[in-house]
Amino acid sequence: MEFPTIFSIAEDEIDLNDLLAKITLASTGAAAIFTGMVRGETARGAAYETEYLEYEAYIPMAESKMKQVAEEIREKWPVVEGIAIVQRIGKLYPKTPTVLIACTAAHRDTGVFDAARYGIDRLKEIVPIWKKEVSPNGEYWVEGNYFPKAGE
Amino acid sequence: MNHVKLLFFATLRDRAGTKAIELDIPSELTVQGLKDKISAEYPNLKASMSSVLITINREYAFDEAVIPQNAELAMFPPVSGG
Repeated sequence: MEFPTIFSIAEDEIDLNDLLAKITLASTGAAAIFTGMVRGETARGAAYETEYLEYEAYIPMAESKMKQVAEEIREKWPVVEGIAIVQRIGKLYPKTPTVLIACTAAHRDTGVFDAARYGIDRLKEIVPIWKKEVSPNGEYWVEGNYFPKAGE
Repeated sequence: MNHVKLLFFATLRDRAGTKAIELDIPSELTVQGLKDKISAEYPNLKASMSSVLITINREYAFDEAVIPQNAELAMFPPVSGG
């Protein structure tokens, strides 16, 4: 049977229970889930406050790159059963989940934690999504530092 | 000539003042050639060209790549999703 792969750019709230149900098979016994949320107060480095983040995406390319990330996960961790990769866009306020990567497998000691970690790391490298940081002191686009190579 | 669409995102969109343009480019123009053309025609974008990412038909493209007919191109800064 084919393993479920979900990838999407969403404007609505991320529904963890729904996504988890969709990537849980009869053979699944473990799920590793990473979710990131808007941090209102940053203490690491120079402290600052965030009023909200505004996300945008090059949607068709973002979804195709998310699919590519899922394929890379399957190549590296063939034991992974279901994969869900969802990024929410629009104006998102502190404490709101913005992204979710979940991988399921039969057991927890199969590399499934690493697979989910790889998924979020790759999303931040190659999936065309950007966020604008809006704080009481002004706003600026956050820019990454990864330059994709040929074939990525 | 080659008629293409060029999309801008994030800082590039703000600096260009538009989400997308359509333009006619010479056949056989490369990605580097496109950067040179945009630098010349959009002075606000010139400073961005050294660190911009460019895609052709939704795949990352590099300086030597020749732009195919009727391509969908995009220019944007390194990504910051998550």
